[in-house]
Amino acid sequence: MSERRTSLKIIGTIGATCAFPFAADELYAQQEHTHTEGVTAQLPEPKYFSNADFSLIAKVAELIIPTTDTPGAIAAGVPAYIDFVVSRSEPQKKLFAAGLTWLKKHDISVLDKLCEAVDKGEVKTTEQRWFKAMKSLTADGYWTSKIGMSQTLGYKGAAMLAEYPECREH
Amino acid sequence: MKTYDVVIVGSGAAGGTLAAHLARAGVDVAVVEGGPKINTRADFNTHAMPWEFANRQIPRMKPGKEGMGSERARGLGGKSLTWNAVAWRQSHRDFKGKSIEDAGEDWPIDYPDLAPYYEKIEREVGVCGNYDGLKDLPDGVFLPPIPYKCSDQLIDKGARKLGLKTIHVRKATLSRPKFGRPACHFCGNCMAGCDVVAKYNSYDVHMVPALRTGKLELVPNSVVREVVVNSDNKVTGVKFLNRETKAEGEVSGRVVVISCACVQSVGLLQMSKSRLYPAGLANSSGHLGKHFIPHFTGGVEAFLHGLKGTTLKDDEGFLDHAYLPSFMHERKRDYARSFGAQFGYQNRRGVGWAREIEGMGAGYKQAVKDRYPAFVIFSPYGEMIPNPKSFIDLDYQKRDEFGLPSARRQVVWGGNDRKIFADMQRWSTEILKAAGADILRVYDEPRTNHELGGARMGSDPKTSIVNAQCQTHDVKNLYVVDGSVFPSASEKNPTHTIMALAARVADNIADRLEKGEL
Repeated sequence: MSERRTSLKIIGTIGATCAFPFAADELYAQQEHTHTEGVTAQLPEPKYFSNADFSLIAKVAELIIPTTDTPGAIAAGVPAYIDFVVSRSEPQKKLFAAGLTWLKKHDISVLDKLCEAVDKGEVKTTEQRWFKAMKSLTADGYWTSKIGMSQTLGYKGAAMLAEYPECREH
Repeated sequence: MKTYDVVIVGSGAAGGTLAAHLARAGVDVAVVEGGPKINTRADFNTHAMPWEFANRQIPRMKPGKEGMGSERARGLGGKSLTWNAVAWRQSHRDFKGKSIEDAGEDWPIDYPDLAPYYEKIEREVGVCGNYDGLKDLPDGVFLPPIPYKCSDQLIDKGARKLGLKTIHVRKATLSRPKFGRPACHFCGNCMAGCDVVAKYNSYDVHMVPALRTGKLELVPNSVVREVVVNSDNKVTGVKFLNRETKAEGEVSGRVVVISCACVQSVGLLQMSKSRLYPAGLANSSGHLGKHFIPHFTGGVEAFLHGLKGTTLKDDEGFLDHAYLPSFMHERKRDYARSFGAQFGYQNRRGVGWAREIEGMGAGYKQAVKDRYPAFVIFSPYGEMIPNPKSFIDLDYQKRDEFGLPSARRQVVWGGNDRKIFADMQRWSTEILKAAGADILRVYDEPRTNHELGGARMGSDPKTSIVNAQCQTHDVKNLYVVDGSVFPSASEKNPTHTIMALAARVADNIADRLEKGEL
C-alpha cells in the first residue's frame, strides 16, 4: 500500500493520546446510550432518509461490505448508522442528496470505477466525494458493529486475563 | 472558618501525592477539587464496546456521571484516573540539558535530589518494569515486567537490525497483587478508567488511605477562581465557586499549593490579580505563562507483515508493553535534545484505519480482516525547546460556565523541534520497515501531549516562577507543583517526576511548618 499523509482520524477508540486525554473532544461529546443496531438483514425504518434512498444506501453498503462467510453491512446495521450520522450533519445531508441523485442516473456497476478513482486519491467530483464519505461511513459503521468487530474480525473485547500470554511465535 | 495548614488546589497525581504525604506527616490538609468524587470502579465506560452507542463513540463516563470534561479533568483523582501510567525516572541529562548542550534550560535540581523520592513513589504505588541498567533511564524499585506483545517482538527485531534496542515499559500498574489491590487483568482500557485500581490513580491509591489519618479533608465540586494574597504578601487561602450551585466559598490555609495541571495552574495564577500582583500572582518576573514546552508526538501507522492474516489474540494487555528509549542523545545529530518512542498503545476498538484500505466487496472485507491483528501505531515523543511564541495566557473573550476566562495554549514549533520531529518520524518509519511492515500513514504534523512549563523552576527570580522546592519566588507560602514547573521537558513521560517532586515538596513544607518558617 502506498504511503498516505493525511490527518489522523480514529473512531471507536478511547484516547489516542497518552496522558492528555482530551485531544478528541468529539469522541466524548455524545452521551447516547442506545442500542439501535439491527442484527438481522431486515432494514429498520429510516429516521432521516426516504425509504427509497435508504434502500439504495443499504444496497451500496452491502456492495462495499458484502455477506461472505460472515454477515455483511445490512445485517450489521450499517444503513441505520449512516442514517443516524447523516441526519446530524448539514454538509453530509447535502453531499448524500447530491450523491444519490447522481447514482440514480447510473447503473450501480459504476461504483467499481468510482471506488478505483477514489482509491487513487481522486476526490474532486461530487460523486467521488460522496463515495468517499459513503465508504468511510460504511467502514466505520461495520467495523465498529458487533457483527463486524467480533464476528468478522474475531475480537472478543476486553477479555480479562489472569496472566498476559507470552508470545512465542516471533 | 477553619484555617488548614495547607490548602492544595487540584487532586491529580501532584495534589493527591502531596496530600497523602503531608497528612501522613501530621499536617492538616484540605484538597480543593473542581469536580465530584469519581468512582473508578463504576463510573467509567471501562469495558464498553463501540456498538453499544449509536454514534459508535464510547463516552468516557457512564450516563449521568460527571467529571471528565473535554477541556479539563474535573473529579477527585484528576487526570491520573485516565493516565496510561508510564513511569520513567528522568536522568542527569534531562535535568541539565543547558549545561550539557546549551539548549533549553537547566533544572536547579539534579537526579540525586529526586532519586529518593522516585523510590518512595515506586514503593508506595507499585511500578512494574525491568532492570535495564541504562544510564539515561535510571532503574528503580520494580514489580516484574509484563511480557512483550507479538508486535513488540517484531518491532524489537527491526530495531535491533538498526542497532537499537527496546525495553519493557515501566508503568504504575500492578503486575502482581499488592497493597490490597489486584493485578492488571489486561483488558486494554488503561486510559478509560481502571475499574479495579490495578493502575494507579491518586484518589484510590494516595488520598483514600490518607483519609484514615484524620488529617486530610476533601473539598470536591469547588472550582477555584482566585488565590488570595494579603497586604503582607502572604496567601491566605482560595476563593471558589460551587460547581453545581455557583455559590461562592473560601478555604483558608497557612500554605497554598497549586496543583491543577500545567495549563490550569498557570491560568489560575494569571486570574489571581491583585494590587501587589496586577499581572498575575507570583508574576513579578513577567515570566508566568512563558516557556510552555509540551511534548510533541509524531506517529506512524503500519501493518506488521508477521501478524497479517494471523488469528487474533487477546493481546491488548495494558496497552503499550515496550518502549524505545532515547538513543539520539548519544549520536551525532544536527539538533539538541532527543526523543523516545512508545508503540502499540492503541487498543483494538480503534478501527478508523479500515476506511483507508483500498477496494470494495469481499476483497476489501478480507483485506481489513487480515490487517486487523497486524495494525500498530508507533508514537515517538520529542522534547520541545522553549521559545517566545509558545506560552499560556487567558482568553477573556472565551469564558466558561463559571464566567472565568479560559486558559489558552499558544504553540509554535521552533527549528530544533522541527528537526527532532522529522528525525523521529524518519526513525519510526525505518524501524517499522526493518520489522517488516506496510506503512499506512506518517503523521505530517507534530501534536502536543504532556503539557509542561509555564511556571518554571529556576534559581533566578527574574526568569523563573518557583525555586528548587516549588515555592514561588514572590510569595513565601505559595507553592506550585505539577508539570508547569518543568524548566525543560525531557522526552520522557513526566508524571513519575511530578509525583516525586510532590513527595519532595511535601517533606519541605512539613519541615518548614514545624520550624515555623511558613
